[in-house]
Amino acid sequence: MFKKPLDKVVSRRTFLKAAAGGSALMVFGITPLASRAFAQDAKELSLGLTWEAAFRPTQDEFDKNFMDKHPDITLNKQYNTWGDHQTIVPTWAAAGTLPDIVYVHGSRGAPWTAEGIITDIDDLANGDAEFNVSDIWEEALRLYKPQGAITAVPYDHGPILLGYNKDIFDAAGHAYPDGTWTMEDFRAAAIALTDTEKGIWGWSGNFPDRNAGGQFLPWGAQFMNEEETQLTLDTPEMLTAIQFWADLIHVDKVAPTTADNQAFPSGPWQGGVVAMSNVASWDTPTLAEFAPFAWDVAPWPAGTQKGTGSFGSGFGICHPENRDTGWAYLREYLNKEGMEFMWGASGRGSPARQSAYDSWLNSPIAPEHASAYLDALKTYAMTDRPFRTLKAPELLDITGREVDLIKNGDKSVADALAAMQKDGQALLDS
Amino acid sequence: MLQRFTGKKLSKREKQEERVFYLFISLWLIGFLAFTGGPMIASLFISFTNWTGVKSISFIGMDNYQTMITDKLFWITLKNTAYYAFASVFFGTVVALIIAILLNQNIPGRNILRTIFFMPSVTQGVAIAIMWLWVLNPQVGLLNYGLSFLGIKGPGWVTSQTWAMPALVVMAIWQNGQAMIILLAALQGVPRMFYEAASLDGAGQWAKFRNVTIPMISPALFFVIVIGVVGSFQIFTTVAVMTRGGPGSSTMVYVYYLYQNAFSYFKMGYASALGWILFIIIAALTWVQFAAGRRWVHYE
Repeated sequence: MFKKPLDKVVSRRTFLKAAAGGSALMVFGITPLASRAFAQDAKELSLGLTWEAAFRPTQDEFDKNFMDKHPDITLNKQYNTWGDHQTIVPTWAAAGTLPDIVYVHGSRGAPWTAEGIITDIDDLANGDAEFNVSDIWEEALRLYKPQGAITAVPYDHGPILLGYNKDIFDAAGHAYPDGTWTMEDFRAAAIALTDTEKGIWGWSGNFPDRNAGGQFLPWGAQFMNEEETQLTLDTPEMLTAIQFWADLIHVDKVAPTTADNQAFPSGPWQGGVVAMSNVASWDTPTLAEFAPFAWDVAPWPAGTQKGTGSFGSGFGICHPENRDTGWAYLREYLNKEGMEFMWGASGRGSPARQSAYDSWLNSPIAPEHASAYLDALKTYAMTDRPFRTLKAPELLDITGREVDLIKNGDKSVADALAAMQKDGQALLDS
Repeated sequence: MLQRFTGKKLSKREKQEERVFYLFISLWLIGFLAFTGGPMIASLFISFTNWTGVKSISFIGMDNYQTMITDKLFWITLKNTAYYAFASVFFGTVVALIIAILLNQNIPGRNILRTIFFMPSVTQGVAIAIMWLWVLNPQVGLLNYGLSFLGIKGPGWVTSQTWAMPALVVMAIWQNGQAMIILLAALQGVPRMFYEAASLDGAGQWAKFRNVTIPMISPALFFVIVIGVVGSFQIFTTVAVMTRGGPGSSTMVYVYYLYQNAFSYFKMGYASALGWILFIIIAALTWVQFAAGRRWVHYE
């Protein structure tokens, strides 16, 4: 049966040539084709998003309205999981298959700008008076101006506040936290509310890694200098601050250990067995849907001063040649009305615009005292560093490893901070 | 082609068979060149550059390889990976051999038991990792529950610096069904007459195992060990899902560190260099095993 097509003998050399040629065609041929599919027609706009399934209908509704208004523009969406997106986008870039618009977490603003994944849109954002870029929180926008020019626009920005389980407070007859609380009040409450026999802890035991500002800003400590060239982890203020959180676990024993945490697939806070935890505004939809208890938020307690960290996410345009079409979409997606529709009214996230914030505060899933987020943004929240150095992911892995050891009680706070300072600074200097 | 190597003139039928041979391997060969050979050559080139994975590529000579010498984490990952490889291959092979011997006996339900022991090796890695997270859960996990009957309070396996790596080794042993099947097949291939001859010479069970069974299945054992070492040096999925290299750097293994450099730290050049060093390490270990194998592997 093979005789006919194989009448002519194919030499091994010819065969290998053909195979190599075919392979080369596959490797070098597919990429430009795929790339062209995204980039060639400016009126076809592709989006790389990370929304969970439950939020996609809101995105679809916005897109339908947009396409009704702009019949010349067709939108194509691709969804990644949030975690995968951070590695998929650079892979798209390497393969030349980037969509026109991508979701950009604040931590990726600087590296994706440096790598040319997202393009300079400073003239578009600042030149569009109707868009009113000055309405966006400066703390949010700074994540996307690593070299001075705007390369993405934030949609969501939130500070870290003190979340509390009202059921546990009520059962213990303890007053809820409020804006007058200091760190000592917080610690006393955590001790008072802990009842290990009932499996109740006062504090979640979190050392928030990315959103670390709440850990040390109240004591006047800083992670690094403004230029992000020098770590400042070896100061007495930092030692006092981190020792405070470590003591909650190991001395006061008011927080579950990392081993205890494993009994709760979504963590002990969401599991309803801890009285207080750090809660960002982007945590609120999950809590509203899944928390099996009544909860609210209060201002972050003060140490020697008031302070907490904040962070957020945004969207950038990838293809310079599609900037105008991309901006036509972003200016409506991220203007006041767009933010109110997408994130404010839906309660999905606290908008990065001051003028759109009320829509989130009034959304059905915002906690009772959600205005504490707004107060924090206005008065004492500060964007967490690092966000400018390209070495941020590696730096945060170094500090994360040492925090593991503090939490486990395997290393003293002083030794861990010394190791972070030494290894982290060596990385920054390299 | 064959004619050139053998000097023998091929018959019409042999020529036809040769053509069919090339037709059958062509898909694999194209796939190899496109998806393995090409990327390997590209990664060798990239390992001499500071490419971030997206743009700005420049040749930096041996810098990436020199960096490894002073990279503390490189040495930690090498040590952790060697520990994992030695422990998982050694204990994995011993356990697989014991189970293979047991399943080689005439016991009721042995076919079902063979399937049960083999099943983990064909189950998807992420699913296994998630399942083991529950088994190893210090509060509600099966392992600590079982230990509690012995009066032992089990540790927080994957959250403990001391126990996280042994936990991964235990998982690897549990997944070693493939080795068990290979060894079982080898055991079944040992001719009965050798055991009968040994019995006539007065050999006991242990002597028969040491002097008949082991030499006769040594090619299969050798294969299991070589493949085991190659595979264990590339451990990734369980670490990525279960521990992400922690706590601290206690389970930071080589390939996970390579992945972090490539996709988190924008160091594709360094990651490629790490890949080539791993290739050299595995090739050297395989060569050593083949050299040592000449002393203890008996081919009929």
